[in-house]
Amino acid sequence: MTSTGRSQANRGPSLLLVAAGLGLDALASWTMAQQSYRWLPVQASTAAPYVDNLFALETGIGTFILVGCSAVIAWTLLFNRAPKYDLDDGDPIEGNLTLEIIWTVIPLLVVLAIAWHTIGINRTLATLGGKQRLATAAPLTSASLLATGSLPMAAGSLPIATDSEDVGPIQVIARQWSWEFIYPNGVRSSELHLPVDRQIYFRLISMDVLHGFYIPAFRLKQDLIPGSVIDYRLTPSRQGRYRLRDSMFSGGYFATNQTDVVVETGAEFEAWLAAAERAPLRPSFNAANEIWQQRLAEGNRGWATVPPAPPPEVNVSLDPQNSHEA
Amino acid sequence: MTSLSQPAVTPPSTSALPDPNGPELDPGASHGHGHGAHADHTMTGFVIFLASESLIFLALFVGYAVYKSSAPLWLPAGVEGLEVREPLINTVVLVSSSLVIWLAERALHRQRLGEFRAWWLLTMAMGTYFVVGQAIEWQHLSFGLASGVFGASFYLLTGFHGLHVVTGLALMAFLLVRSLRPGLVLPEGKGVLAVSLFWHFVDVIWVVLFVLTYVWQRR
Amino acid sequence: MASSTSSPSLDPRVLKEPLPMPGPQGNWRRYFTFNTDAKVIGIQYIAVALLFLLVGGLLAMIMRGELITPPADLVDPTVYNGLYTMHGTVMLFLFLFPVLNGFNNLLIPPMIGAPDMAFPRLNALAFWLFPVFGVILMASFLVPGGPSGSGWWAYPPLSTQNPLGHAINGQLLWILSVALSGVSSIMGAVNFCTTILRMRAPGMGLFKMPIFCWTALAAQLIQLMGLPVLTAGAAMLLFDLSFGTSFFKPEGGGDPMLYQHFFWFYSHPAVYVMALPIFGIFSELFPVYARKPLFGYKVVAIASFAITVLSLIVWVHHMFYSGTPQWMRNVFMVTTMLIAVPTGIKVFAWIATLWRGSIRLSTPMLFCLAGVFNFIFAGITGVMLATVPVDIHVGNTYFVVGHFHYIIFNMITFGVFAAIYHWFPKFTGRMYYESLGKLHFILTFIGSTLNFLPMHWAGLMGMPRRVASYDPEFATANVLASLGAFLLGVATIPFLLNLVSSLVRGPKAPPNPWNAIGLEWLLPSPPPAENFEDDVPTVISGPYGYGLGRPLVEDQERFERRALEA
Repeated sequence: MTSTGRSQANRGPSLLLVAAGLGLDALASWTMAQQSYRWLPVQASTAAPYVDNLFALETGIGTFILVGCSAVIAWTLLFNRAPKYDLDDGDPIEGNLTLEIIWTVIPLLVVLAIAWHTIGINRTLATLGGKQRLATAAPLTSASLLATGSLPMAAGSLPIATDSEDVGPIQVIARQWSWEFIYPNGVRSSELHLPVDRQIYFRLISMDVLHGFYIPAFRLKQDLIPGSVIDYRLTPSRQGRYRLRDSMFSGGYFATNQTDVVVETGAEFEAWLAAAERAPLRPSFNAANEIWQQRLAEGNRGWATVPPAPPPEVNVSLDPQNSHEA
Repeated sequence: MTSLSQPAVTPPSTSALPDPNGPELDPGASHGHGHGAHADHTMTGFVIFLASESLIFLALFVGYAVYKSSAPLWLPAGVEGLEVREPLINTVVLVSSSLVIWLAERALHRQRLGEFRAWWLLTMAMGTYFVVGQAIEWQHLSFGLASGVFGASFYLLTGFHGLHVVTGLALMAFLLVRSLRPGLVLPEGKGVLAVSLFWHFVDVIWVVLFVLTYVWQRR
Repeated sequence: MASSTSSPSLDPRVLKEPLPMPGPQGNWRRYFTFNTDAKVIGIQYIAVALLFLLVGGLLAMIMRGELITPPADLVDPTVYNGLYTMHGTVMLFLFLFPVLNGFNNLLIPPMIGAPDMAFPRLNALAFWLFPVFGVILMASFLVPGGPSGSGWWAYPPLSTQNPLGHAINGQLLWILSVALSGVSSIMGAVNFCTTILRMRAPGMGLFKMPIFCWTALAAQLIQLMGLPVLTAGAAMLLFDLSFGTSFFKPEGGGDPMLYQHFFWFYSHPAVYVMALPIFGIFSELFPVYARKPLFGYKVVAIASFAITVLSLIVWVHHMFYSGTPQWMRNVFMVTTMLIAVPTGIKVFAWIATLWRGSIRLSTPMLFCLAGVFNFIFAGITGVMLATVPVDIHVGNTYFVVGHFHYIIFNMITFGVFAAIYHWFPKFTGRMYYESLGKLHFILTFIGSTLNFLPMHWAGLMGMPRRVASYDPEFATANVLASLGAFLLGVATIPFLLNLVSSLVRGPKAPPNPWNAIGLEWLLPSPPPAENFEDDVPTVISGPYGYGLGRPLVEDQERFERRALEA
């Protein structure tokens, strides 16, 4: 098998073998694509199904390639191994133009097809709005943000439809290391409450360094850039309590910079908003501050970090005891 | 001993005063800097290095252009813009020095050592004039390194370029001193070629820099 | 390259010169001197780089110890930040770049028949900068406030915060170290490119050059084009940190995004600077151990340059979620995915090289096979990451950490191990112990898979990278990863044991123990200081002529005999 060329006679069985192998490979790929949905958190936004379907598609194609290549490698390892003390060379094949063209053109077509498909998805999702650089010589302060209308509107920003179903803009303010959400009616919260199935507009603002607004259950992520206001929108599609995590490394207690997103019915949301408006402002729970205070109490050991920003004053604070779905 | 580029009929011993038209101006290599580099390779390496170096400037220029056209804050408060007259004179002097260094190179090719030194010195004088002029300009500017992104970009660009001018001057001084040691200047033909190339490079960079910072002032 | 009388690609006059320093073969002291012999420098690079591999690995194991439980209980979160920053920096700038420069030094001159590098003194200077910036980086552990804790990207404004306000701080030392590493790399790149372009043996046209030299050239071109841009960014960052400028601070009109462009313009292609030579190593080793010519040599060679070109126009894929406009995301998604084509060509060529070969599963071959398998996997996750919606979900999560460790460890470092085993007899004159090598391979393969595969899962579930603590739902994946990391630590024991014991008492190596084809195998083991000296063979056929029965050079028997007699 290894050293003798194959004759025409046994070409039939080997074609059959290849066909069977490709069939098995396709089956494995289809199975893996189906499995891939189980590696992801629940789908809680309208974007999530698009992301998951694309991921499943790529998992399927990827499995096909990985299994296919591995099978060929395994075949050669099983049947083309040199016996011990055998110093013979293999078949001196230097190349094959047809094969080389095939494995240049097919991958090219496959990636272009995936790219084409993805550009379409990008157009559908369109979560990112405009970005406006702030013309301030001084760093942003909480005070300068208090007047919610004072922020310049982003150029080419997402039009907030007059359609009353849309919510926002909710200002998302990230600090080292806390999240604060300011609703159009002035309610401040360190937990993000959103009504289900309604388009939500956000304006993302960072007060110090880069942060990332990331909700895995929504499959969405957007960095917050100091000195810029970024418009963003999304539509939650499933009720529940999900994690919002800081995804762009922001220093010292980066890992603690997470909070919850609560997606609830419109009525529940309105009730929450009304109750929050009546609640007094108080310092939010803030994990980074707790660790920092503990560190100070223990003699401020550890490596350099800026101290955490004071916890934001909010009407509604997040509660670390709550458990989240994803 | 085989010489690569000279015709085989030319005995290598004549390269004590080498063929000025041949690229082989450095017979030093033929009897060895020991294990050292061969002069032809030096030129290849130097050109590769300059190409790479030019990309630092390219990156800085692109950064400058992006900021100039997009930064919400540009000129620091109280600064109207840059004075162009003096820098323009500086520019003319520096760019003309490219011609002068070419004359020096030509003089060396014609084996006129005295003439070479004169042009070479003139190039150095013009380069020095530029650096001094630059320093005077810096002293009289009303903004500093920390004056916003404009001040930072201006000083970084002109400073980094100025560093190259000073490096060029130092290299020229080094070669000039070596040329005073009898019998050693002609073997340095490759060095002259390299420094001259570097000097043209520094001049071209300055022209782009001048256009970017002094000519393109309006936003 | 051939000319009528003598080849202009090789200058015979630099040969047979008295050497300034190397001294006799057995003189170990030369490894601690400013030696200008490329082979000494190569071994210096590899030895110091392996030392830093241990340092980086130790840092990684502390990190994995921290991450084996959800809360930050082993080290303080700020210490964790410093550890992961240093882990990344050490592994990239003090292990992978130097170790590959070591291979460039060892392999390029013998492979092309050159006596040494084009600029031996520059070469030595480039090497000696390496311990200097290594010490500077290590010294940052000792300054007040500890080392840089802003990640190996050092994104401003975080990296310019300088919490303690000291003039000498970890971040400053980090920038200095990386800048010096850049200077050293540029010196190296100028040297390697000039050597490959100007000093090839007579008859060795570009298309008779071994693939390793092709990939080294392609990689060094990236260094020459990318590093200057990083240098510009690093200079601006240094000014922001230490001299109060506001290049990247919004307060003065600066924009942190510009740094990201500068950084990734180099640092994405930097991955190819490391990957390309490994592609070269795979392309060298598969023909030897499959006893077949490299399938489609020319296409594989040209694909290297396709990768170089494409690598320079993909950097924005690191910024898909940084506020990059949609059209730009689409453009960079397409360019990024196109890289799959030339890399695919290479992978398929390697597999086709195995097909109907006569395969020997020695340690280097095992590492190559596993490296290619892992690379196919990493290529697939790479295409996933290139598609914008998937990247928006898994970008900056452990999925990315898993992906690039599959590239950087499971492919690149596997290739490094393969190369070390394969060329160990050539450059040390001793054979390594096959059984220890196989043990090293098995432990490394299991350890790395256990370490990096579960990371993809954690990332898909939404675990951000760079965290010191995490939610309990990620615990399973992290326990597996930590166990894998510790196993990788164990795997270094047979590796080091093999290196040391083989060096000391391994069997003497013949000139060509693998029956390989290539100029370096026509030299004695270890090769003399100036390789072929003034008797350079004339190359008459392309590399990898296994089974073709054609000689590589004129008078091949004479060179083989000479190597045996030496």
